[in-house]
Amino acid sequence: MSSTRLPDGLVVIVKEECETCRMVAPLLAQFECTVYTQDDPSFPHSVSPIHDADLAVSWHHDIETVPTLIKVMEGVEIERTVGWSQAEWRRITGIATLGHELPVMRPGCGSMSVDPDRVDALRAAFSGDVLKARRIELADLDDEMEKLFDLGFTDGLPVVPPTAERVLRMLQGTTRPPDEVVAIVPPDLVEVTVEKIAINAVMAGCKPEYLPWVIAAVEAICTDEFNIHGVLATTMPVGPVIVCNGPGAKAIGMNAEGNAMGQGNRANLTIGRAVQLVVRNVGGGRPGEVDRATHGNPGKISFCFAELEQGSPFGTLATARGVASGTNAVTVFAGEGPRCIVDQLARDPDSLANTFAACLRTLHNPKSVLGFDVILVVGPEHARVFAEAGWDRERLIAELHARLQIHGSELVRGAGGIAEGVPDWLADATLGKFRPDGILVVHAGGGAGLFSAMIGGWANGDIGSKPVTKEVRP
Amino acid sequence: MSKLLLDPTSERRVAERTRLARPASLSDQVIGLLDISKPRGNVFLDRLEERLLQAGAQVKRYKKPTFTKPAPVDLRHEIAANCTLVIEALAD
Amino acid sequence: MHDIVDLESRGVPGVFVASAEFVTAAIAQSTSLGFPSVSRVFTPHPIQDRTDDEMRAYADAAYDEIISQIVAA
Repeated sequence: MSSTRLPDGLVVIVKEECETCRMVAPLLAQFECTVYTQDDPSFPHSVSPIHDADLAVSWHHDIETVPTLIKVMEGVEIERTVGWSQAEWRRITGIATLGHELPVMRPGCGSMSVDPDRVDALRAAFSGDVLKARRIELADLDDEMEKLFDLGFTDGLPVVPPTAERVLRMLQGTTRPPDEVVAIVPPDLVEVTVEKIAINAVMAGCKPEYLPWVIAAVEAICTDEFNIHGVLATTMPVGPVIVCNGPGAKAIGMNAEGNAMGQGNRANLTIGRAVQLVVRNVGGGRPGEVDRATHGNPGKISFCFAELEQGSPFGTLATARGVASGTNAVTVFAGEGPRCIVDQLARDPDSLANTFAACLRTLHNPKSVLGFDVILVVGPEHARVFAEAGWDRERLIAELHARLQIHGSELVRGAGGIAEGVPDWLADATLGKFRPDGILVVHAGGGAGLFSAMIGGWANGDIGSKPVTKEVRP
Repeated sequence: MSKLLLDPTSERRVAERTRLARPASLSDQVIGLLDISKPRGNVFLDRLEERLLQAGAQVKRYKKPTFTKPAPVDLRHEIAANCTLVIEALAD
Repeated sequence: MHDIVDLESRGVPGVFVASAEFVTAAIAQSTSLGFPSVSRVFTPHPIQDRTDDEMRAYADAAYDEIISQIVAA
């Protein structure tokens, strides 16, 4: 690759295909300058241009428009002008009559180095050494999709092959440098960089604009509080459930409405999937190894959705957890698959709360208390019942806790003919189904359907997992 | 020029396909002997079978229709469903 | 070799046996299949003109190595 350092003096970058460049070409013989031409090496014929055939010079000097006129002193760019502006060209060249026969100004054309069809390849060619990951060479007969299965990098579904071009394009989605360490990932306790997350995000099928959300979720699950190691190693069927808040969630096209927890939405599915691939590939957490889940659940492929903030009578989950309103954030929760709550007749909040409480009572086991948290996903038609009665988040949660105080006699081992339960000495106590902060409320779902959902958690507390909220940084 | 992919892992292991874990011993194993159908291979496999039976393993015999192509998928299914180990012989 | 590569994908550890003529081909083929470490054992060459007793002797000579490829070290 030729040196990309610009010579001192005046430098002009042109391409023959550009009418404005052809218009100013005769001027270039009128003052001393070095001319780089992007396409035709014989243009302009009046000077001896340097052919920037590989676009290395254009790329390294951020040429977006041709013609560009640059003044360079001692190897440093002092100033530049793009397109043809008679005033600017006269000022920079110092020639008062330059281009007197030309119009006062004329816009330039797009530089070849920013042509969308070329950009990925150029980035890979010139910035490829930014990537530190080991390269894996595909053998002659390798089908790249099969290879990725054979190497054990997938979650059972095909992944997008992570080429340098794709990873560099993904890295455009964040301002953070590729070598920045984001977290230490259990179970292998490996440092994960922005680059490694980007590789897994490519494999998951993310767009670059999703990357900051993936990074925030990885940060969140790698905290001691969330305890991803425990979440992974448990025999319970849980995995990270990611709830997204903030205007950015909508901007990247996440789904908070109909079928929000189902299939079809690329942002929802690939963000959740990327996080799981990081756990698998970087952290080393895989089923049959550290992952001991008895049954697992389909959400362990991906479980990520946005909260429906518009029209929520409960505010947002993120603001309830201390994030400033209007800030993008993710909340991670160690959760199983969702269960449906049906109530198609309740017209008043008490009646609906009674349904919720009765269903919540059975989380994991009707006799199990205090050990597990829950996300209650309130669908919009149910939310309206509460909204019309003026119940906000705090009210709803308080009303649910009040309905979930259970006498120990119902809960002790053997009660109801069920061996499971609390020890005998609690027979006279009154115990809450959930710990005081154990119910998280999220507003999401389609506008039609008198349903809500509950997502049961893993063990809470210090030895278990606690929900964690992290802001999304660009 | 061969294609390069970036390694998504922690890079603590070699990034190439590795062999499956092998069992600790032959006992309790069902060993499929797959004859590729070149002449003389069956005699070789007969002798392996004798010795494997002596060693306490079970043996199943299979033969593919021609050595010029990979075994038909049904045969591969059958071996995978019925055997815990496989020995294929004898190419020359 | 293709069959052993395929059967390993199906969860069946395997080894293929070939005559010494196959040594360099095996390296090339296993590499291009993306599985350079696939198990293989070689017998002497030739095969086609060997008597039954000679074939049985080949099998005895190869037996220990074959076992070492399908049982953990």
